[in-house]
Amino acid sequence: MSSTDWNELDGYEALVSELRAAAPVAPDRLRERVLDGAPEFRRRMSRRRRLTLVVLPAAAALAVGAALVHGFVSTGSSRSSDAPALTAHAVTGGIHRALVHGRPATTTADAGKLTQQKGYAPTGTADENAFSDYRSAAMPASKSVTLGAARQALNIPTNRLVHAVASLQVRVKSRQELSAKTNEASQIVGSLGGYAQSVRYENSRSGYGEAVLDLRVPVQKAETAMGRLAGLGVLVSQEVSTQDLQTKLNHENSGIGSLQRAIAVYESALNSGTLSGSQRVIIQIRLNNARRQLSHLRHARTGTLASGATADISLLLTTRSQAIVAHHHHKEGRLGRLLGSAANFLGLEGIIVLYALIVLSPIVLIAALAWWIVRERRRREDRLLASA
Amino acid sequence: MSDVNALPAAVRPPGLVGSPSFSDVVAEHLDAVYRYLVYLTGDRAAAEDLAAETFERAFRSWRRFDPRRGAPRTWLCRIAHSAAVDWFRAEARRQRREESYSRDDARLEESVFAEGLSPELERALRRLTPAEREVVALRVLLELDGPGAARVLGISSSACSTRLSRALKRLEQEMSDVLH
Repeated sequence: MSSTDWNELDGYEALVSELRAAAPVAPDRLRERVLDGAPEFRRRMSRRRRLTLVVLPAAAALAVGAALVHGFVSTGSSRSSDAPALTAHAVTGGIHRALVHGRPATTTADAGKLTQQKGYAPTGTADENAFSDYRSAAMPASKSVTLGAARQALNIPTNRLVHAVASLQVRVKSRQELSAKTNEASQIVGSLGGYAQSVRYENSRSGYGEAVLDLRVPVQKAETAMGRLAGLGVLVSQEVSTQDLQTKLNHENSGIGSLQRAIAVYESALNSGTLSGSQRVIIQIRLNNARRQLSHLRHARTGTLASGATADISLLLTTRSQAIVAHHHHKEGRLGRLLGSAANFLGLEGIIVLYALIVLSPIVLIAALAWWIVRERRRREDRLLASA
Repeated sequence: MSDVNALPAAVRPPGLVGSPSFSDVVAEHLDAVYRYLVYLTGDRAAAEDLAAETFERAFRSWRRFDPRRGAPRTWLCRIAHSAAVDWFRAEARRQRREESYSRDDARLEESVFAEGLSPELERALRRLTPAEREVVALRVLLELDGPGAARVLGISSSACSTRLSRALKRLEQEMSDVLH
């Protein structure tokens, strides 16, 4: 303490001496508490850091492990789906998994919709250009399959209302034959009660010709129509998708029934003459709303029924010799499929994480901002304290 | 008491060879910080808690402490001051919440500041405000110089000097009142 400082205490020597002589001393328990607390605090910090170092790799390992397990399970189950007993009836009781010349059709199912993707036949006669179920995959590529098998493979459900969309690519021998086959396709559809909505015929001088026909046939005749259309030449590819409309129709029917009952109740209430003026107005408004909804629902049901009544078939007749190039999944090994499936699953996990991040990002941002503010405040305080 | 030298080397400020370790600082300044807090709060139990909190805070920012920029005692007193201010705020809230806060008579009779003090000085110290006791603790007990005490208090040196002068005068006056 400087002499200047001592001057401030001049005249209070006795007081100062007494205060200094009887200065309080920190108890031993406090000393122990402070000295024990510091390393403990340090341990707490390192434990948190260690936890982060363990949790993050563990989560990553778990994600990769789950992807590999999913890949293993899905590639394992694909073998069982090869079995004839499991010919993809699952979702709509619908379309068989099919392939042409040993290539399995890819089938995607989603909420009442089941899509059967292209078969592929680079060579073969008309009768050979047909679907077969996966049992045929074991057959040699040159093995013929019948048209009947093709019809059976399509199997558009008849016990439910469905909307079917199909597309066929058929190769014909020459440009001369193209014209005849185009007419024949229209005749086939007409004979089955359908019609050609549009026909585009193109005959190029360079040597190839194409005809694109948008056909509508009754859905019950769709399988027959496709079988016969496939017989017009060499079937290059075929794609069929069905969408179940039965549930939608059921909802519309039940909605119409409910509205009709409600309208009857409103009308009888209005005719009873027991309602007050304001009640009559309210009931009248409700009646008008119900009638409007009924009209709307009836219109929708008509559309649903119309959509389920016909199948849309898009037919491409072509003279081009090149078939659609498709890669052969069956040539990949089990390991390749496993890795592919695992990669897909990892991608899905990534999407989920990304989605979660997007959803949580505002909260994370606010939390990060709050954390940063607190950290900055603490640092400022530390700087202040350090500068004291 | 645990051996202060048993603390890990990490408790030394980084890059400062030959600077005191945290355990050395604790050993050297714990009494001073405790005294300061006893005088400031007038409550030994609270002073103990606050001293522990002070050293925990100090440990947290120990790596950033540069002894060339200030004495450890002044630095620790700043932290203790900050902790005590928080404590006073919490106490004020608690008292407002409880509405009726009265000190226990028995507690008033017991020695708070030190066992060796005369009863007159003890009573006179109790009658001082925390701010007055604080400046007395810093200048008299901890023997901080004027600028150091002023930095702890967050006031100018002249204001600190004035506060000390008033505190000592009032302390003497209170003692004479008690005697008469």
